[in-house]
Amino acid sequence: MKLTVSDLTAGYAKAQVLFGMSLELGQGELVAVLGANGAGKTTTLRAISGLIRPWGGEIRLDGQSLAGLSAARRAALGLGHVPEGRQLFPLMSVEENLLLGAAFLAWERRQESLEFTYALFPRLSERRGQLAGTLSGGEQQMLAIGRALMGRPRILMVDEPSLGLSPKLAEEVLATLARIKAEGMGVLLVEQNVALSLEVADRAYVVEHGKVVLAGPAQELAQDERVQKAYLAL
Amino acid sequence: MEILLQTLINGLLAAGVYALVASGLALAVGVVGIVNFAHGEFLMIGAFVSYFLFTAQGLDPLISLGAAALAAFAVGAISYYGLIRPVLAAPELNQMLLTFGLSIALQNLALLLFGADTRVVSPPYQGSTVSLLGLSFGLVPFASFVLSVALLSGLYWFLGRTRLGFAVRAVAQNRLAPGLLGIETQRVYLLAFGLSAALAGVAGVMLSVMLYASPTIGFAYTLKAFAIIVMAGLGNLRGVIPAAVVLAMAEAFVSTYVPGGGGWVEAVFFLVIFVSLTYRSWRFR
Repeated sequence: MKLTVSDLTAGYAKAQVLFGMSLELGQGELVAVLGANGAGKTTTLRAISGLIRPWGGEIRLDGQSLAGLSAARRAALGLGHVPEGRQLFPLMSVEENLLLGAAFLAWERRQESLEFTYALFPRLSERRGQLAGTLSGGEQQMLAIGRALMGRPRILMVDEPSLGLSPKLAEEVLATLARIKAEGMGVLLVEQNVALSLEVADRAYVVEHGKVVLAGPAQELAQDERVQKAYLAL
Repeated sequence: MEILLQTLINGLLAAGVYALVASGLALAVGVVGIVNFAHGEFLMIGAFVSYFLFTAQGLDPLISLGAAALAAFAVGAISYYGLIRPVLAAPELNQMLLTFGLSIALQNLALLLFGADTRVVSPPYQGSTVSLLGLSFGLVPFASFVLSVALLSGLYWFLGRTRLGFAVRAVAQNRLAPGLLGIETQRVYLLAFGLSAALAGVAGVMLSVMLYASPTIGFAYTLKAFAIIVMAGLGNLRGVIPAAVVLAMAEAFVSTYVPGGGGWVEAVFFLVIFVSLTYRSWRFR
């Protein structure tokens, strides 16, 4: 499955955020979208998953345009999105949150998916009966990722998973994304933590003012002078 | 002692219908996020469906329940689609003014079509009484109570045990995530608002026998349902049943024990709102 975003423009009310955003993501690939706050990373994900309607440009999944499809339809096509702020169901248990992730996408395979998720995040298994609202920040992030996995997506988009986590936990969560990639999913990682992201990603896009200004293999970007200066404080 | 017992029973029986109306309102407020001042008008629609099916077709109100539920569901769904959906993202004041306007429009439409008279549905068993454990009470209030309990059990089963009910609870807790999990949130809102109206419509059928059908019957029930959901905590479905019992009991006691109580009954809901808001502001400040 291949996700192609080309020349995307979008925004909120009269404030344009994306000015011709383009990117590609293939199966079994971990691609990072890096940039400062307000560069348009989250808006790109929201446009891809159908939470906002783009003003122009194209979003294609295996060549098929996603224009006009609801968020739910796109999820059914295999797009998973772990949104900014996790957006859990605070008054439901960990397991209920997970089951909701499967309820309308892959209900028959829920048991299998639960086992997969609990193996990926043993912490969630320990806390399966606890209300999601009472989890720590790191556990909530794991739950948000686990919930998205329950729908058996083929492409997983993760928005700022390291936000609010300790450096150690952030590293742990990003390492899990590498394992998810190893399962054959395409992972699109949006992050402000550039150093950490370049460690786990295969490729990366650097976004400024709503469009890509730099793209390439992660290792190359980590050596790039401009990236080092602007984002790595080297 | 016997008066006390009779009062308790009257209160309990009345609580069934209250809980039905208020659960509907709690769905609108808690799931769709709309403070619906037109909730009582859905009840009024149910009452008139019952009245006209009874006078024109001779249908027993028990049979009209289904028709009234469907009619109210349809009116609720159309209101959602045409009126509520466009203002879902609008400021709350706009939403409230809209539902308030819908309430006035529906009331006056009914006034225009049916006139201001109160119309009672009087099936042959209307005056019958049931005796149980030495106490007697009206068959109709008793049957309404039993039906309300059954319907509410059905509602709780739907919300707690079915996948669609799971989705309804999910949408109530987070508006953004359900879509990403493959849930068509617009359809869930439509269903929840329709169900909300249907619950009121069913209550309207019961009231058409116990009380009467009239264009303005809904208003008092909108207010009482608000008192109940304020007591329960806005949008908290679980608290609705105990809160309905409290309001109905309070009304029953005022009616029995306060001199000239009959006249005060319709003000009890206001006292309940007042007390629960004051209590909350003390407890949570």
